Amino acid sequence: MQHDVVAIVPELMLIAAALVLLLIDPFLPPEGRRGLSWLGIMACLPAAASVWLARSEQFSTFSHGIALDRFAVFFKLLLLAVAVLAMLLSEKHLAKNGRLLGDYYALILLATVGMMVMASAIDLATFFVGLELMALCSYLLAGFFRYRERSIEASLKYFLTGSFASAILLFGMALLYGITGSTNYQEIGVAISTTSLDSHVLVIAIVLLLGGFAFKVAAAPFHGWAPDVYQGAPTPAAAFLSVGPKIAAFAAIIKFFTIMLGSEQARWVPLMIAVAIATMLIGATMALLQRDLKRMLAFSSIAHVGYLLLALIAAGQSHSNLGSSAVLFYLAAYAAMNMGAFGVLVFLANSASFGDSLDEMAGLARRFPGAAGVMAVLMFSLAGIPPTAGFLAKFYLFASVVDAGYAWLAVIGVLFSVVSAFYYLRVIVYMYMREPSAEAAAAMEPAGGRSWDLSLGLGLATAAVVILGVLPGPILNAAQDAVAKILGS
Amino acid sequence: MTMYSFQSQIGFPILSVMTFLPTLGAVAMLLLMRGRPRLYKFTALAATGATFILSLLMLAKFDQYTADFQFIEKVNWIHRLGASYHMGVDGISVLLILLTTLLSLIIIPASWNYIKDRELGFFASFLFLETGMLGTFCARDLLLFYVFWEIMLIPMYFIIGVWGGPRRIYAALKFFLFTMAGSVLMLVAIVGIAYLARPNQYAPPVFDLDQLQNAVFSFPVQMAAFLAFFIAFAIKVPMWPLHTWLPDAHVEAPTAGSVILAGVLLKMGGYGIIRFCIPLFPDAVAASIPYILILSIIAIIYGALVSLVQKDLKKLVAYSSVSHMGFVTGGIFAFSVIGLEGALLVMFSHGLLTGALFLMVGFMYERLHTREISAMGGLASPFPVMAAFLLFFTLGSLGLPGLSGFIGEFLSLLGLFTYNKAMAVVAAAGIILAAAYLLWMYLRVMFTETRDQKWFRLSDLSLREIASLAPLAGLAVWVGVYPNTFINIIHPSASHLIDHMSPYLAQHGDFLTRIFASLGGGR
Repeated sequence: MQHDVVAIVPELMLIAAALVLLLIDPFLPPEGRRGLSWLGIMACLPAAASVWLARSEQFSTFSHGIALDRFAVFFKLLLLAVAVLAMLLSEKHLAKNGRLLGDYYALILLATVGMMVMASAIDLATFFVGLELMALCSYLLAGFFRYRERSIEASLKYFLTGSFASAILLFGMALLYGITGSTNYQEIGVAISTTSLDSHVLVIAIVLLLGGFAFKVAAAPFHGWAPDVYQGAPTPAAAFLSVGPKIAAFAAIIKFFTIMLGSEQARWVPLMIAVAIATMLIGATMALLQRDLKRMLAFSSIAHVGYLLLALIAAGQSHSNLGSSAVLFYLAAYAAMNMGAFGVLVFLANSASFGDSLDEMAGLARRFPGAAGVMAVLMFSLAGIPPTAGFLAKFYLFASVVDAGYAWLAVIGVLFSVVSAFYYLRVIVYMYMREPSAEAAAAMEPAGGRSWDLSLGLGLATAAVVILGVLPGPILNAAQDAVAKILGS
Repeated sequence: MTMYSFQSQIGFPILSVMTFLPTLGAVAMLLLMRGRPRLYKFTALAATGATFILSLLMLAKFDQYTADFQFIEKVNWIHRLGASYHMGVDGISVLLILLTTLLSLIIIPASWNYIKDRELGFFASFLFLETGMLGTFCARDLLLFYVFWEIMLIPMYFIIGVWGGPRRIYAALKFFLFTMAGSVLMLVAIVGIAYLARPNQYAPPVFDLDQLQNAVFSFPVQMAAFLAFFIAFAIKVPMWPLHTWLPDAHVEAPTAGSVILAGVLLKMGGYGIIRFCIPLFPDAVAASIPYILILSIIAIIYGALVSLVQKDLKKLVAYSSVSHMGFVTGGIFAFSVIGLEGALLVMFSHGLLTGALFLMVGFMYERLHTREISAMGGLASPFPVMAAFLLFFTLGSLGLPGLSGFIGEFLSLLGLFTYNKAMAVVAAAGIILAAAYLLWMYLRVMFTETRDQKWFRLSDLSLREIASLAPLAGLAVWVGVYPNTFINIIHPSASHLIDHMSPYLAQHGDFLTRIFASLGGGR
């Protein structure tokens, strides 16, 4: 592994762009801020290129604090794609609500830097720095519409629960450091597997880490903040927050629970099984009850976290690295379909006085046939129906679970996916099969022009959903190579 | 490693062209022809027509003297997962493909003026559906099969939910969730056997049917996987007691949707059992024969009895499907060459006759705006041509010798008879009941006094409507008079399958089988 600052070049690029955005924003007239999103996007593209060019070698910097390996390359490219999509979705919505500021893009870029650090950290201290950078930016993004009570409430709730979660995680990490005497993932893993440690402290550390991460990814029983935050946050920010932090947290979870705690899987697997089942149960059943689409998508993303945890159980148990690569592939599919679904809500809020309720979706196929078509594809994908990314991701994930010897968990998982199909199909029922009520029809009267950025973003997300569903080969290979490297190192 | 091959039996990959031609047509319609109804309707007709011609071409080149798969195409798809794009047909699938392309073609003119709202989506849905159906019959890779199998759900869901009757949303959701609940369990089983069949733990899973057929699974694994597969297929058949989605879906679906649902989608269940359950899980199949036969016989009798009391014409035809499909599962699980051929002929003939009956119900509804049997009566005087056609298809459906329904059910009963005489006797009662409910229906609908003099001002069947019924009638006569044309196509594959099964059958003689033996022979 080469020591080289190359390992953090993409992060540096994004930080530079964020600083430029913050500096020039006050000097721009309101209409001059149009196109600021493209400054952010244009910073992500060379960052992605630099990651891509470095893919075949391994770099590390900050005295083994950050590594740019295949695993990090996969996650950095995914996170950069998410950031680009988030910026494409945002501009028109911010402008319509009078909050078109450079700060917003700077926050997205800095949060992305935090996530990329989380995904590529190989040291507890570096990881925590990334986590806090991401978290602080996320709280601000949730409260970006500061004139709206809901947005502020979301921000405050996110901040309070998030801070608790960070503290709990930090305590767990401190215990790990206390019993092993190292902050390096690899050294901790070696110490845990070879020396006889105080098992009580280790169990407490595992529980704290699992609890902290459960908060961060919104897994039961620590999921309560997610619906309120996604509902209150500006919709494009909710799109970003429902995907980005989860991707980064799952990158860290994979590393924590395989590199460090891989030898202790007998201790954490039962706990994680319970969390996974509870998460799927709560996500799937609560989503059935929602009439607000953002809350529905929030509970649906909780259910998806439950599936992801199933793959982590497989990763803990299995001799192969199928489980970890299933997590990676699922995250890529989830990013495309979830951001796309939120993107459609942004589109509707921009083009009509849409209030995120299911009733307003009635008759959408007549008024906005394109948006309805995109939403239908994304709903089928979220429900896991072929030929979409959602199907192959679920298929691959359940394959890893069955292969690890947990066929019964896979059966529970697929049955929950039938339950969840109901609420995704209900959206399609409303869009295609129901006629709108008078007030819903009035609310959905088309008003305001289209935005080119948003259409591009939706097109990219939908294309990704279809391509990943039909020809998943390259991404699947990348996911398998990514985890092969991290586990081999 | 890349591999690509197709058997140059015909010079081009005919199965793929046939499967994806309708999708191509649908995409062209959606992208280029919005708001031009004549153009997109003719495009739909051209796409389904070309697909039908391709299927005839395939049939002409089909080698009837081998049980091997033909027109094979194989391309790498997801290499690391061991899944390939592998297509091929044998005698079992080839007739069902013909049925699919024929019915898909017929419903286009039949619904030419039927739909008033969002016509483009309607016709495009049927084209997408045709791709799903043909792919399901051609796939030789389990994952590919599953993808096509699930793809079919999406257009059918829209067809019922958007263009259906008053309770369409309920029916569409019930159809979707019922089928999905069955198939996700099948997915887990697919994954399970694919990983168990690996030569070593570093090899990719095995989804290819050619390789899976050589794998040997332990009895518990077979039983679990068989149950998962079988429930998925039994829901589609539908077998009693998993049939409850069918009447709802049929009553609410638009005419063309009912035709495809009864004509092709129900056949997926029987096809799946023959294609996957029997070769992959022979021990489990052999052990469950008596139980499934009992369910089949219950379905035959129950479907017929329920048909007797229906007030809605469409519901009557729907429940009669449950009864007819009992002959399919009964014929399959009798495990004789004759029974299996009978089951396949019942599937083919049911597609023709019940498809035609649903078309006729649709034509009647377009004129009378009701499907209540009690509201009809004396239709024969205002609509003589319609009465003649309905008589033809009714007689075919109740098993009149000389028409297709008789041959299939007769062979199926013959197969059942060699397995167990008592069962064959009970099942034969189903045919008598069929005569009862169908003839009584015909009596109430066509004869007696004409209820409404306004009907005399309505037109009889138009040329377009006759043109969509005539090919079905012609084929029904052909199968009924000279079934050898079709049996010859089926025979090599059917006898190959029975040969494959016979060593397993001898090993299983459980409690229930012995009881049957004391009642009426047995093997």
